[in-house]
Amino acid sequence: MAPAGFLSKKRMEDFLKEIGKDALVHVPVLEGNVVVFRPYGQNQTINLERPANAPPKAVIFPQSDTFFTFRFIKDPQDPKKVSVEINPPSDFPEAIIFGCRPCDAKGFKIYDKVYIEANGPDPYYMGRREKTTIITLACPAPSAGCFCTALGGGPAEKDGSDILMTDVGEGFYLEPVTEKGDKLLKAQGVAQLIEDGAKYGQEATKRQKDTHDSVKKPFESINYRDLSRDLFDDDRFWEEMVSKCISCGACTYLCPTCYCFNITDEKTLEQGERLRSWDSCMFKHFTLEASGHNPRPTKFKRYKNRIGHKFLWYPEKYEEIIACCGCGRCIRYCPVSVDISEIVSNLRKTE
Amino acid sequence: MSIEALKETIGKVLKDVDVVIAYKEGFDALHSTPHFITSPEQIDKMIWNPLCVHNLTTYLPSMKNKKVGVVVKGCDSRTIIQFIQEGLIERGKVVVIGIPCKGVISVAKVLKAIDHKPIENISFSDNGDITITSEGEKKVLSLNDVSPDKCTTCQYPTPLIYDHLIGEEIKTEKPAESVYGDIREFEKLSLEERLKYWQGEFDRCIRCYACRNACPMCVCQDSCIAETRDPHWISQRLNLTEKFMFHMIHALHLAGRCVECGECERVCPMGIPVNKLKRKINLDMKELFDYEPGVKLDEKPPMFVFNVEEAKIKEHKI
Amino acid sequence: MPDVALQQELRIIGFLCNWCSYGGADTAGVSRFKQPTDLRIIRVPCSGRVDPLFVVKALLNGADGVLVSGCHPRDCHYSDGNFYARRRLEMLKRLLPFLGIDDRRFHYTWVSASEGARWQETVTNFTKRLHELGPLQLKKEVSS
Repeated sequence: MAPAGFLSKKRMEDFLKEIGKDALVHVPVLEGNVVVFRPYGQNQTINLERPANAPPKAVIFPQSDTFFTFRFIKDPQDPKKVSVEINPPSDFPEAIIFGCRPCDAKGFKIYDKVYIEANGPDPYYMGRREKTTIITLACPAPSAGCFCTALGGGPAEKDGSDILMTDVGEGFYLEPVTEKGDKLLKAQGVAQLIEDGAKYGQEATKRQKDTHDSVKKPFESINYRDLSRDLFDDDRFWEEMVSKCISCGACTYLCPTCYCFNITDEKTLEQGERLRSWDSCMFKHFTLEASGHNPRPTKFKRYKNRIGHKFLWYPEKYEEIIACCGCGRCIRYCPVSVDISEIVSNLRKTE
Repeated sequence: MSIEALKETIGKVLKDVDVVIAYKEGFDALHSTPHFITSPEQIDKMIWNPLCVHNLTTYLPSMKNKKVGVVVKGCDSRTIIQFIQEGLIERGKVVVIGIPCKGVISVAKVLKAIDHKPIENISFSDNGDITITSEGEKKVLSLNDVSPDKCTTCQYPTPLIYDHLIGEEIKTEKPAESVYGDIREFEKLSLEERLKYWQGEFDRCIRCYACRNACPMCVCQDSCIAETRDPHWISQRLNLTEKFMFHMIHALHLAGRCVECGECERVCPMGIPVNKLKRKINLDMKELFDYEPGVKLDEKPPMFVFNVEEAKIKEHKI
Repeated sequence: MPDVALQQELRIIGFLCNWCSYGGADTAGVSRFKQPTDLRIIRVPCSGRVDPLFVVKALLNGADGVLVSGCHPRDCHYSDGNFYARRRLEMLKRLLPFLGIDDRRFHYTWVSASEGARWQETVTNFTKRLHELGPLQLKKEVSS
C-alpha cells in the first residue's frame, strides 16, 4: 500500500476529470437547497461540506434495476405459439463514488453480507460492487441526528471505503484503504496530481479526532443482546414511540443500510422488463399477501419491524453487526422527527 | 398567549377525549415533534413556539374510531373545515384547540441561514427575533426571514374554526394579492423554461411518498393509485416520466382541495417544491369559481359540484 | 384540409363519449367525410369518465395531443357527467402551461351523434394545429 498522499483543492477538478476517464464518477452536487449524487459533469456545484440528502447507495443498488428485458414473439405460422426472447442487461459500468461519508460507505458492508456472502453472490449487486471504487471524505462536522460513534463507526471510519480523504484546509489528505483504492491512486495520470501527504498526517488525525468527539452519543455502545425483548414485543411501547409516524418511505429510501426490494414485470403487450426496485417496510403493501391478509397491518408493527431488522435479526444472523450506521438521515428528514436513536436507547434493558 | 393557558385547556379537553395531539421537543434544538397526550402527566412535556411546524390535523382521518383533541394554527384550521366540507371527519369527535399564530420557522431556511452548522440552542422573543447558538456563537435572525412562504403571505393567522381559542385573535396585515405572487411570477417564464424547471425538480424525487403521507387531504393513503398494480397507473421504473406522473396524481387529486398548509413541501427530503402545482390550481379555482379551500363550512369543493351555466368557462375554439 | 399525408403522422389520443361524439365520428365516417388519420379513438361511457390524469398520462407517455369530446352541455346521457367534465378539463387546460406543456395540445369540446360535419371540422382543425406544433416527445426513459 502506498503512503498517504495529498490532493490540493485547486487540483480537485483535474483529479475528477482524470479518474472520470475510465469510470463514471458520482459526486455530491448542490441543487437548490439539497445535496444529491450526480454523475460528474459541467455546471455543477460540488458540495463536500455536508452529507448528501440521499446516500449514494443507488450507484451499487439502483432504486430500480433491470434484471433482463423480454419480448414475446408470435410464430407467424401458428399464432397460438408464442416464444419469449430474453435479453440480459449489458455489462456493468466502472464507477467511482467521490465524497460520500464513512457511514455511506459502511452501508455497503451491510449489503455485502446479504448480497454476496450469505447466499452466494447476487450477480447484479456484485457486478456493480466489484466495479465501484469508493472515495470517502472523513466527515468534517456532524449533522443534526448523526450518531455514528454510538454504533462503533466514526467520522473517519475506514471500513467500507477504498480511499479515505480528510480535509486539511488547502487540500485533502488521502489514505488508500484497499488494493482497489491503492491502484487508483497509483494510476499514472492520477499519481501526477498527488503530492506527498506525510506532513499533513498530524493535522488530519487532529481534525478526525475533533469531529469524532463532537458526535452526539445517545448511548455508549450497543449489542443486540442489550435490547429488551419484552419491551420490543410490547405494543404499548410502539404506540408511544411511533404514533406520530406517517408511514412514508423517507427513512428507508434515505437509509444507507436498507436493502429490501420488490420484483415486478413491467410490460406492454409485446415486450417488457423484469425489475428489482427498492421497497419500504413502512408501506402497508410491503407485507400485503395475495389473500388480502396483512401480517403487519399497522404502522406500529411496521416500524417495529424496521428496528427489529436492524438491531435484532440482522445482528443475530450476521456476526452481531448492527445494520444501522448512524448517519442520522432517517431522523433528520423524517417528516415528524421520529428518532431511531431515542427508540433504540429506550429499548435497552435497564439494569 | 401563555403556554400555561394552553396546558390548562388541554388538561380539561383530555378528560373528554382519548388523545390530544400537540407538540413537544424533537431530537434537536431546531425540531419539534408531534406529541400524543393520553394522560395528564404527559401534558407538561408539550411546547408551543415557532418550531411547531407540523399540521397535526393530518392524523384525524385515520383516527375516526377515537375522540381526538388537536392543536391547530390558523393555517391548519383550514384543514378541519375542508375535512368537514368533504365529510372526512365527524365534527363531534374532534375538539379543536386553536392558537392564533404569528408565523413558524422553516427548518430548511434556518439551516441555510446558518450554513447548515449544528445548532445548540434556539430561543424566540416576542418581537419576532430568533437567537440561535451554533458552535458557541450567537446569531440573531428575524422570524420573517426564515418563515416558510405560507407565513409571509398568511391570510388566516387566527384559526377559522375552534372549540377553544388560546390567546388573542390576530388580524393579518399581509395583502391578499401577495398569496399567489410567486405563481404569477413563475408564469412569466417561457413554456420551455417551465418544463425544464419541473423536469429538474421532479428528477430528484425518490418516490418515498412523504409528501403524500404528510398531506392531510391525501386520504387514500394505502390505496393510492401510485402504488396499486391494478389499475397500473405507474410502474416501478425509476424514470422522469413516472416521477412526473406521480406528482401529477398528487396535484390533480388535490385540485380545489389543497388548504396550502405546505406540509408536502416541508417534508420533502429532496427539496422539491411540491406545493407549487396545487397552489397554481387553487389560484385557478379562485378565478373560475371564487372558491378557496378550507375557509367556509357551508361550501363544497368546486370539483364536487357544477353549474349548468358556468359563468367563467368559455368554450374553446381551435 | 391540410395535406397531412405528406408529413409524419402524429399520435393524437381522442377520448370520445359513447353516446354522442363516438356516434358523431361514426356519422362522419358513414357520410364519407375526409378526415386526417392521426387520431386514435378511445371510447368512454361519458366525458365524465375522463379523469384529467388520462390526458396527462397520454401526454407524458408519448402522445402529441389529446382531444376529449362529449355530449353538449344539458345533453348528457347520464344528465350531468359532462358538467363535471367541463370543470375538470378546464382546470387541466389551465394547469398544462404551468407545467410547460402547450395547452393547445389539449382540446375538449362537445359533438353530438348527428354532427358528423362538426366532428370532421374538429378533428381536422385539431390535427392541423398539432402538425403546426410538431411532436411533443415528453417521454423520458431515464433519469439523469
